[in-house]
Amino acid sequence: MGASTVSAKTLATWTGELLAQLPAPSGPLAAVQGRGREALAALPLPSRHQEAWRFTDLALLAGLDLPPSGAQSSGITPDGPAPEGTSPQGACEDKPPTLRLQLDGRRDPLSGVVLPPGLTRLSDSELVLALGHTLAATGCEQHWPVELNHACASQLLALRVSSRAQVSLELVSDGATGLRPLRVLLILEEKAELQLCQRLTAAGSGLTSLVLEAHLGRGAKLQHGLVALGQPDGALLAHLAMEQDPESDVSLVAVSAGWGVSRLEPRVVQVDGSATTTLRGLQVVAGDQIADTHSHIAFGGPEGQLDQLHKAVADGRGRSVFNGAVRVPRAAQRTNAAQLSRSLLLSDRARIDTKPELEIVADDVRCAHGATVSCLQQDELFYLQSRGIAAEQASALLKRAFCEEVLRELPAPARLWCPFERLLAADGFESGPAPAVESGPEAPEGEAG
Amino acid sequence: MTTAASVGDLVSQPYKYGFVTDIETEKIAKGLSEDVVRLISAKKDEPDFLLQFRLRAYRQWLQMETPDWAALGYPPIDFQNIIYYAAPKQRDKKASLDEVDPKLLETFDKLGIPLSEQKRLTNVAVDAVFDSVSIATTYKEKLAEHGVIFCSISEAVKEHPELIERYLGTVVPSNDNYYSALNSAVFSDGSFVFIPKGVECPMELSTYFRINSGDTGQFERTLIVAEEGASVSYLEGCTAPMFDTNQLHAAVVELVALDDASIKYSTVQNWYAGDEHGVGGIYNFVTKRGHCRGDRSKISWTQVETGSAITWKYPSCVLQGADSVGEFYSVALTNNHQQADTGSKMVHVGPRTRSTIVSKGISAGHSANSYRGLVQIGPKAVGARNYSQCDSMLIGDQAAANTYPYIRSQQPLASVEHEASTCRMSEDQLFYLQSRGIAFEEAVSMMVSGFCRDVFNQLPMEFAAEADKLLALKLEGSVG
Amino acid sequence: MIRPDANVLLEIRGLHARVEDKAILKGVNLTLRAGEIHAVMGRNGSGKSTLSKVLAGHPAYTVTAGTVTYRGANLLELSPEERARVGVFLGFQYPVEIPGVSNLEFLRVATNARRVQLGQEELDTFAFEDLVRERLTVVQMDPAFLDRSVNEGFSGGEKKRNEILQMALLEPLVAILDETDSGLDIDALRIVAAGVSQLATADTATLLITHYQRLLEAITPDFVHVMAAGRILRTGGRELALELEERGYDWVDQELAALELG
Repeated sequence: MGASTVSAKTLATWTGELLAQLPAPSGPLAAVQGRGREALAALPLPSRHQEAWRFTDLALLAGLDLPPSGAQSSGITPDGPAPEGTSPQGACEDKPPTLRLQLDGRRDPLSGVVLPPGLTRLSDSELVLALGHTLAATGCEQHWPVELNHACASQLLALRVSSRAQVSLELVSDGATGLRPLRVLLILEEKAELQLCQRLTAAGSGLTSLVLEAHLGRGAKLQHGLVALGQPDGALLAHLAMEQDPESDVSLVAVSAGWGVSRLEPRVVQVDGSATTTLRGLQVVAGDQIADTHSHIAFGGPEGQLDQLHKAVADGRGRSVFNGAVRVPRAAQRTNAAQLSRSLLLSDRARIDTKPELEIVADDVRCAHGATVSCLQQDELFYLQSRGIAAEQASALLKRAFCEEVLRELPAPARLWCPFERLLAADGFESGPAPAVESGPEAPEGEAG
Repeated sequence: MTTAASVGDLVSQPYKYGFVTDIETEKIAKGLSEDVVRLISAKKDEPDFLLQFRLRAYRQWLQMETPDWAALGYPPIDFQNIIYYAAPKQRDKKASLDEVDPKLLETFDKLGIPLSEQKRLTNVAVDAVFDSVSIATTYKEKLAEHGVIFCSISEAVKEHPELIERYLGTVVPSNDNYYSALNSAVFSDGSFVFIPKGVECPMELSTYFRINSGDTGQFERTLIVAEEGASVSYLEGCTAPMFDTNQLHAAVVELVALDDASIKYSTVQNWYAGDEHGVGGIYNFVTKRGHCRGDRSKISWTQVETGSAITWKYPSCVLQGADSVGEFYSVALTNNHQQADTGSKMVHVGPRTRSTIVSKGISAGHSANSYRGLVQIGPKAVGARNYSQCDSMLIGDQAAANTYPYIRSQQPLASVEHEASTCRMSEDQLFYLQSRGIAFEEAVSMMVSGFCRDVFNQLPMEFAAEADKLLALKLEGSVG
Repeated sequence: MIRPDANVLLEIRGLHARVEDKAILKGVNLTLRAGEIHAVMGRNGSGKSTLSKVLAGHPAYTVTAGTVTYRGANLLELSPEERARVGVFLGFQYPVEIPGVSNLEFLRVATNARRVQLGQEELDTFAFEDLVRERLTVVQMDPAFLDRSVNEGFSGGEKKRNEILQMALLEPLVAILDETDSGLDIDALRIVAAGVSQLATADTATLLITHYQRLLEAITPDFVHVMAAGRILRTGGRELALELEERGYDWVDQELAALELG
C-alpha cells in the first residue's frame, strides 16, 4: 500500500464509486446484493472513532486501485500468474473424498464439477433459509465488511456435508487483482466431518472479501486451515462465522501475511455450549502492513470449551492488532476457556496492539487469558549462540519456532502452501509479486515432511 | 447454589457509616455557571491565577461530552441539579481543635478517625475533609519541623501559592477528561502534601473525606509533590451517609515524584454504595495520576474499593524518568447493583521503566466488576518491563466480571506480560474448611483474604487489618 | 480391640441419602464403639464415599431417612464445622487446594476451634507452632509445607499427610478416612498408616473406607464391612478382607442379585 496511492480519496468516495460501478444484481445472490448495497449506502463507514476500528485504518482501502466492474463477471479474462483458465478440478484421485475447487468470485465454483459422495449443493430454497443465519447468530450480519461482501458477491459456494460423511475440501483463490468477493456457506449435518483447506493469494492491487458461514450439527467436526498470503497493495477482509451445536468440534487455524491491510474476524457461537472450539492464529506484518484479527467467541450454554492461541510477528513499520472477545453469560456454567496472545515485536518502528476482552456472568467457570509482547528472548538467543550458531541464524531459528507453533497445526495440505520462509521473508513482501506458492492444481505431495 | 446464596447474604451487611450529621451548612444555590465558578473562587479568596485556571477548565468542560466507553449504565446526570459548594458554618479554619464544632469532631470519632489530641492516632497525621472543606489537620507542627507541608489545598493556595501554581494541573491537565475538567472548574478542597528534597516523611499522612449533605457534589483535589530523594506514604479514606439519591464525587489526584523520590498512595474507598436494589449511592468518577518525572522515582497505588454505586477510576503512572517504577495494587469488591470499572494505566516513556499491576476483583449479587487497563510502551522505553495480573472471583451466577487489558508496545526491547484468571469460591473449598471446624463466615473471609493477599500486603500495616475487616463485613451474609 | 462393653461413639441406623435426584445410600446400619477400627470396602459407586460425605455433612448430599447418633446426640442436625468441633473427622479422598490461604493459619484456626469446644485455651501463634512441629513428626512432614497455601501444589502423598496432620491436631473421637491409601506409594502409605495407627486409641473409633486390601495390611481392622448398592451387604472380621482380595468382588454381585430376587 504505497503512500502515493493513498490519495485524497476518502473511504466514503471509494464506497460510493464502488456502489455506482457495480453491475445490476444477478445470480443466486441477487436479493442479498440488493440488500447489501442499500445497507452499505446507509452504514456509517469504519473509522478510527469506532471502538471496533480504533487501531485499523480502512481509509487505506480508498487508495486501492480497484476496477470493481472488472471483478464482476463481465467477460474480462483474469490475468496474473494463477492458472485461472483451467477448469475446476474434480475429486483428486489419491485421496478419494478430496475435492479441490477454484473460487474466484466470478464463476460458479461448482459448474462442471461432480460432487463426491457426502457433498451436495444447497438448493435455492435451502439457501433462502440458511444464508445469513450464522452471521446473525454470531452478531456480525451488519458489519461493514460483511455488507460490502453482500453488495458485491454474485457467486457463492453452498454445500451440505451429509451426516456421518467424511469429506476433504480445498478452496483455492489464487493471484487475483481487483475486487474478489468470495462467499461460502457450509452446512455440516450431524456427525459430519469436513477438512477444509483454503488458500487466498493475491497477485497485485486488489481487495479480497471473504464471508464464510459454517453451521455444525451435533457431533460434527470442522477442521479449517486458512492460508492467506497477500501483497503490500492488497487488502483482505474476512469474516469466518461458525455456529456450533453441542458436541461439535471446530478447529480453525488462520495464517495471514503480506497484506497491505488485513482484517480477520473469526466469530464463533456455541449455540447450546458443550462444544469444542480451537482457534489458532498467526499474522505477520512487515513494511507498512497492518494485520488485524478481531475474534469473538460466545457461549450459549454450559460446558463449552475454548482453546485459543493468537500469535503475531511485527517487523518494519508494521502494525499488528489483536482483539479477542470471549463472552460467557449466565447460561454458560462450567465453561472452560483459555486465550493466549503472544506477540513478537522485531522493530522499533513496528507496533503491537493487543486487547483481550473477557466478559463473564457465571460463577462456575474457568477462564484464563494471557498476553505477552516482547522481542526474541535474549537468553534463548545467547544459548544458541553459545553453541556456535551465528546470531542471525539463531534469531531465524527462534522466529521459526515461534511461528511453527501455529503452522504445525494447519491441516497437512494447507501446511504445504505455507512455507515458513514465505512468511518471514520481509523483503519479499515489498519487492514485486510474491513468488508463486504453488501454481498447478496438483497438490505437491511429498514436498514437505 | 446454596454457596452462592449465602455468600450473597454475607455481602449484604448494612452500611455502618450511613448516618447524617445535623449541622448548619452554608450552601450556594444549585447549578453550574461561570458565575458559580467565580463565586467558589471568591469564597475561597483565591489568587487570580487560580480563578483563571478554573474558568479555563469550565470553558473546556462546556465543550466536552460525558464519556460512554466504560461498561457502566446510569441515567444522565443533571449537572444543574447539584450544589457545588457546601461548608459547615464556622468562621475560619480554627487554629486549635478545641474551637472546632464538637459535632464535627464527634462525627469523625464515630467514623473511627478521632482528631482530638488525646485520642488521635499516633504516627498518622490526618486531614479531615467534611463536605467541601477541610476542618482539621493533625500533627501539622510536628511535620513542619521536617519541612513537610501537609494542609488543605485551600490553605496551600494562600500560604504556598508558588507551589500550587507550579504543580497544579501539570499531571492531569484540566481538559484530560470530562470529570477532570469539571473538577478543575469547581474543586472545593482536598489535601496538599509537599515533601522537600531528601526528606523521608516521618509519619503516615492521611486524608479522610466525608460527604454529609445530600445534594452536594464533592470535588476534591489532592496534590502530592515529592522532591528529589523524598518519600511519603499517604492514605485516603472516605464514607458518606445513606441517601436514596445519587451523589456525584469527581475528584482529581495528582502526584509528582522527582529524581529518586517515592510516593505510596493507598485508598480505602467505602462511599455509600446504595441499597440492595441499587437505589442511592455515590457516583465515584475519579481521575488519579502519578507522574514519575525524575529518574529512579517510584509511585505506588494501592486501592481497596468496596463502596460507591458506580466507580470509574484508573489510577495511573506516567513513567518518564529513566528507571522509574509504577505499581498498582487493587482489590475491588462489588455487590448488589454496584458497578465498578477500574484499573490502571502504565505509560512507559523512559528507558528501563518498570511497572506492576495486580488487580483482584470480587463480584457478588447483581453487580458488575470490570478491570480495564492500559500498558503502553513508547518507542523510547528501551528495556521497559511490565507484569500484570488480573484475577476475578465470582460469587453467585448473577454477577459479572469483565477484563479488558489493553497492551500497546512500540519498543522491541521491552517486555509486557499479562495474566488473568477467573475463579469462584467453590463449595468444595468452603466445605473443606468447615469440615475442620472453621465457621462458615470465617471460611469465606479466609478465602477472600487469601485471594486478596498480594494487595493487602501492600497496605500500610495499620490499614491492612482494617481493609481485611471491611471486606469481611461487606461479605457478611453473602455466601453459603 | 473389641470390647463389647465399650461406649458406642457412632451409631448409624437405616441411613438413606441422595445426591441431586439420585438415591445412593439405601439403608446403612453401622455401630462404632470406642477402641474399634472398622473398614468399609466396596467397588466404586457402592456408596462408600457418599457415606463419608454424609457423615461430615457435605451440603450436596441429602439424608432422606435414618439416623446418625454421635455420643447420644443427633449428628445430622449439626453443621459441618460443628461436627468437626465435637470430634468427627473426615480425611478426604481428594483434599482441595485453596490458593492464598496459608496452611499454618488454617491449621491454627481449625485447632483452636476444636480447643474452644473442648473448653481448652486457644493457642497463640507461638504455642501453636510448637504444637504443630511436634505433630509433624507423626506424618514425617517437612515443616516447609506449613508456609505454603492449603494443599496448593502438594503431591498426592503430601496432601494425604497434610490430612493426617490435621487429624493429629484435631484429635477426633471418630475418624473417617476416605480412600486415604489411594494415590500413595509404598513409603507414603507406610507413613500414613503408622500415623493413623498411632492416633487410634482406646477412646477413639476409626472408619477406614477403602477399595483395596493393602491399607489393611498396615492397619489391622477389627471389623470389615462390604458395601454394595448403598447397603452393607456383609460384615466380618479381617478374614473378609482377605476373601475379597482372593475372590474379587464378583461374588458380591451374585449375592446382591440373590438378595434382590429373594
